[in-house]
Amino acid sequence: MNQLMIKQFLRTRTFQFGLILILLLGLISIITGRQFLNDQRERISHVVEKQEGHIARNIEFHGDDLGLLLYYLKFSLVKKQSPLVALSIGQNDLNPSIQSVKILALEGQKYDTDLVNPTKLLFGNLDFSFILVYVFPLLIIAFTYNLLSEEEESGTWKMVSVTVQSKLKFLLSKLLVRLISLLAVMSFLFIAASLVLDIPWNEAFFAFYMIGVLYQVFWFAICFWVICLKRNSSFNAVVLLFFWLMLVVLLPAVVNNAVTNRYPVPEALTTMIKQRDGYHQKWDTNKRETLVKFYKSYPQFESFGFPPEEGFNWLWYYAMQHLGDDESVEESKAMASKIIEREEMSKQIGQFFPSMYALLTFNELAETSLVDHMSFLERTNKFHEDTRLYFYPKIFSESTADDVEWEKFKPKFYEGRNQSFSWTGLLPLASVILFFIGLSAFMYRRNFVSIAND
Amino acid sequence: MRREVLLLIARQFWVSTFKSKGIFLLMGIMVVLLVYAVYSGVGYHDQNHFRIDHQEKARESWEGNPDKHPHRMAHFGTFAFRLKHPLSVFDFGIESYTGNAVFLEAHRQNVANFSEAGFSTGLLRFGELSMGMILQMILPLIIFFLGYASIVSDRENGTLKVLLTQGASWKEILFGRSIGLFGISCLFVIPFLVVTAILLILEEHSVDDQWVRLSFLSLSYIVFSFVLSLLTISVSARSQSSKSALIKLLGLWLFMIVILPRASQALGTYFHPSPSKLEFRAAIEEEIIQYGDSHDPNDEHFAALRDSVLRANNVDSISQLSFNYGGLVMREGEKISASIFNEHQQQLVSIYRDQNQLTRSLILLNPYLAIKNLSMTLCGTDFESYVDFQNQAEDYRYSLAQKMNELQIKYISPKRVSGSEGKVYVVDKSEWKAFPDFKHQFQNIQHSLENELISIVSLLIWLVLAVWVILYLSRKSTAL
Repeated sequence: MNQLMIKQFLRTRTFQFGLILILLLGLISIITGRQFLNDQRERISHVVEKQEGHIARNIEFHGDDLGLLLYYLKFSLVKKQSPLVALSIGQNDLNPSIQSVKILALEGQKYDTDLVNPTKLLFGNLDFSFILVYVFPLLIIAFTYNLLSEEEESGTWKMVSVTVQSKLKFLLSKLLVRLISLLAVMSFLFIAASLVLDIPWNEAFFAFYMIGVLYQVFWFAICFWVICLKRNSSFNAVVLLFFWLMLVVLLPAVVNNAVTNRYPVPEALTTMIKQRDGYHQKWDTNKRETLVKFYKSYPQFESFGFPPEEGFNWLWYYAMQHLGDDESVEESKAMASKIIEREEMSKQIGQFFPSMYALLTFNELAETSLVDHMSFLERTNKFHEDTRLYFYPKIFSESTADDVEWEKFKPKFYEGRNQSFSWTGLLPLASVILFFIGLSAFMYRRNFVSIAND
Repeated sequence: MRREVLLLIARQFWVSTFKSKGIFLLMGIMVVLLVYAVYSGVGYHDQNHFRIDHQEKARESWEGNPDKHPHRMAHFGTFAFRLKHPLSVFDFGIESYTGNAVFLEAHRQNVANFSEAGFSTGLLRFGELSMGMILQMILPLIIFFLGYASIVSDRENGTLKVLLTQGASWKEILFGRSIGLFGISCLFVIPFLVVTAILLILEEHSVDDQWVRLSFLSLSYIVFSFVLSLLTISVSARSQSSKSALIKLLGLWLFMIVILPRASQALGTYFHPSPSKLEFRAAIEEEIIQYGDSHDPNDEHFAALRDSVLRANNVDSISQLSFNYGGLVMREGEKISASIFNEHQQQLVSIYRDQNQLTRSLILLNPYLAIKNLSMTLCGTDFESYVDFQNQAEDYRYSLAQKMNELQIKYISPKRVSGSEGKVYVVDKSEWKAFPDFKHQFQNIQHSLENELISIVSLLIWLVLAVWVILYLSRKSTAL
């Protein structure tokens, strides 16, 4: 009986068409993911390779004037890429994973987003997480919406219901055949992805997979509930598509619009202007004032004193640069905290909606979320300060390039937030699944059992 | 075709649709979506206030500069803030994915930064809810849903036969139902257009051609919904059962609207890789280095220029010239670096156009893509409008840098060979005020429509095609 059911299902046109579609899209998603990851890796290794040469070339030109040399030098901080990035590109296409900064004012340097075709961003990435969240539910709907209604409409249900021992078992095993087939297709894609992209089978990958599985189960639970309503195929198709539209298109858009409007970030623009004014206006004020402010931030350099008011001086120049950052720090912090609030709000609302939960968590697992980028920026601040504090005394004491231990200045790597996956975070999703299973059981009793008793 | 029969059939379709409760539910949903889209659109558009404020703030501190060496002002620079088009309340287009502000300074072309996308969570990638998005994506579903059964269910229950024996022709039935369905779809479309018109009236910053744009926009959506109505009726007439009509239409929707555009854009991008910002910058810098450092009046690469200038003026050193030579070198340098940058920028834009080409070539096959592109263009939120903004910002940046170089050549003593600090070699601050501020100009409608000619052609082809299909079906259809 079950074998027959499997064969029967596998022979349907819907299944065959669905299988081809999902394999094709899955393949596209894996190759675009691989292209993305390879590009990222290439860029990183390029930066790592080039830094030494970049420093050496500039030393050749400006080695006798350290102040001038550091005006040209860029130092790189690289965010390590987990191979999971290829599965869930998230915000990583836009937010670069390399920061190459000079020890000049940082605010004007660190927010540069990468160059991406905005039309591509509009249509969205076709990465694996998109296939899981967006396309799989459509297949589940296509495979199950007429699971029972088709039998009723073609008149076979009456016959089935007298021949099978348990109608519930019959429905469940039909459903199970579809669930298992789809999970098998999904697992196949996961394995293919892990082989093509060299993803280690670690906790993050396992968590990624488990969310995938639970998310499919969630859609099956909804479909089961709709089936138990015992209405006709057209009704089922419309209701299920409505659910899909709500969960995958409308609600996330509603939440995103709400978050954007709730936390506008004009501070981004203010920071930019303040940083410029903070730095440039120092050219017109006297040097002493500038340095007094600078020594307030870094009293350890006070011994370098005050340069003459006439003429150019590197101590003064770097102090001006620093004050650009210093005078925009308030706006910069306000902006960062607003951005974190955006993510918090999205996550809080998202946890109750499996589609949003899945996508946001995929991004977290791949470390491609907004918060991951903010923590990278945080680290950039520290990296920038460390570099500055190393060079400041050397520049101020008019040292030359020979006094610098250049081997220390290889590109640094940022390992990411290294958060372990919170398995309890799955509870809301699990409860939603249980809720729909309960609802299905209730509907089943109402629509199937009582009629049988009549 | 008799007019009164046509209208009678249309009216009958209308009346029977309103007999079911479903239509009111759909209208309720659309009203909720409309209200939310308006709320979001107005909120998004309010960002203009921030941008205008900041443009003014930036200008204020520009004008507030004291007497200075003009090269300091060239680096003080200014900002170009991108303004949202008044019609962007209707269709957000690519607005959220493009940078909002550029810092403009001498010999450095900064990219437009601070896009909304950079500050957004992963949820943005699900898409945004705008009035345009609802009409492009949800309206087709509603039309399909209201019309899928219109012919086929009458065939199923035999009323079609009755209708035909009463003297109505197939042509009248199919067109009549299409008109009925189209009439109902207008009930959904028109509120969106009316609300947009009201928002335009309320908006203080208007653009000259906004009403022409809105008229074209309205016309496009009306044609789009008429095409959808005709197609729905055709599918219904061709289907064996109402269930199969519904499934066909839903499948069509998923494929044309959900799957195909994303897949084609992903493939287009895959086949035309574009450089990252680091690569883009490095390529430009490398090319500029070959021309030497225009900051350094003793630069060897500019030696030929110096020698010819000295010879022409019959002097032996640059400090004997009657003008400031440093400014002249920087003017040359700016010219060279700007042309190198523009070349690379154009290459980048053309790579992006190549990436978009696959999807654009599907416009003729997919009326959804046609209306989507046309709508963005008419709302000033499309790719070309963004490129136009970038060009305007770069033109302004160039003229600002060159103006400062001119001031240096003219007013700074030739004795000041290099360096720009201090209060001795300066230009009067009235010059800062005299240089006009950046003002973002929107593209005119003619330009926009030329860019989207293919979408207009596509909608018209689909209109003709859909009418033809109905005519064809009126000869082929059977009542059984």
